[in-house]
Amino acid sequence: MKILISSHRSLAALVHPGNSSDLGLLVRIMAALVRISSVCYRGVRPLLFRASSLIRPLAVQKKDRDCPYFISAKIHATPSNYAGSGSKAASLHWTGERILSIALLGLAPVAYYYPGPAVDYSLAAALTLHGHWGLGQIVTDYVHGDFKIKMANAGLFLLSTVTFAGLCYFNYHDVGICKAVGLLWSK
Amino acid sequence: MCQFYTCLKNMWFLCEMSKFWAKNTRLNRPVSPHISIYKWSIPMMMSISHRGTGVALSSGISAFALAALVLPESYPYYLDLIHSMTFGPQFLAFSKFALAFPVAYHTFNGIRHLAWDLGKGFKIPEVYRSGYIVVALTVLTSIGLATM
Repeated sequence: MKILISSHRSLAALVHPGNSSDLGLLVRIMAALVRISSVCYRGVRPLLFRASSLIRPLAVQKKDRDCPYFISAKIHATPSNYAGSGSKAASLHWTGERILSIALLGLAPVAYYYPGPAVDYSLAAALTLHGHWGLGQIVTDYVHGDFKIKMANAGLFLLSTVTFAGLCYFNYHDVGICKAVGLLWSK
Repeated sequence: MCQFYTCLKNMWFLCEMSKFWAKNTRLNRPVSPHISIYKWSIPMMMSISHRGTGVALSSGISAFALAALVLPESYPYYLDLIHSMTFGPQFLAFSKFALAFPVAYHTFNGIRHLAWDLGKGFKIPEVYRSGYIVVALTVLTSIGLATM
């Protein structure tokens, strides 16, 4: 046992010269055992060349100093360039879709109680955009292939533009959306 | 530097995706039966109906907008024209019901979707329960609106 401990201490000193705390002594003993057993299985060479397999117990030691409980060794490191980088466009689009839906929901009672040009144009914009984004999701779901996707989105953009233009024309030159629904329902 | 790397990664994924679809289309690979064999469920039917009513309503609005741009006369003129062609009050009530139904369904199911987006109501019994409520509300609202 004495030989074991002394060999462990010498080994520990080899790779961690400043390490003298007793915290995690058990861990270091285990680490040493791993190193000794690796010597038995693979010979002295890996030990001498500080093979990366020996870094694993070292990682355990370092972590142990931070948190005094057993942690299994980390084998992969998550690439730090994943975290936080990249465009938020898709996420913002999703949020925009939900906000627009809620706005459209709120617009319905307003249209009933306060019909007029302001609500007419707001309805025209909200309905067209909600429809445009909804049909856009359908294109994304069912249309595949670079060219087809471009064509479908172009066609959709054209349709939405014409729709909005038509609704604005109707609001300006004709009775307007609110009045139109009212007239339709009064018949 | 991170954003550049992510941009390259995204471009690579998009490239791989379009290569997959190009090959897939070229080989005309057969698709395993899916909707033709899977048992239809209420949530499935309601989901596709939400999409269907959305497309129908959007098409209706676009058709209306196009007509407004193309047709020469004003809206009250055409409304009176249609009114003079109708076959009685039941027809009017039925057509009001037919217009109100997709609007009501899409609206109520849309609220259901927004609840899901908040993370609520994902347990299977809750999904079915909210679905039944949406259908009930749709029918009641459509009938109510048709009688107005």
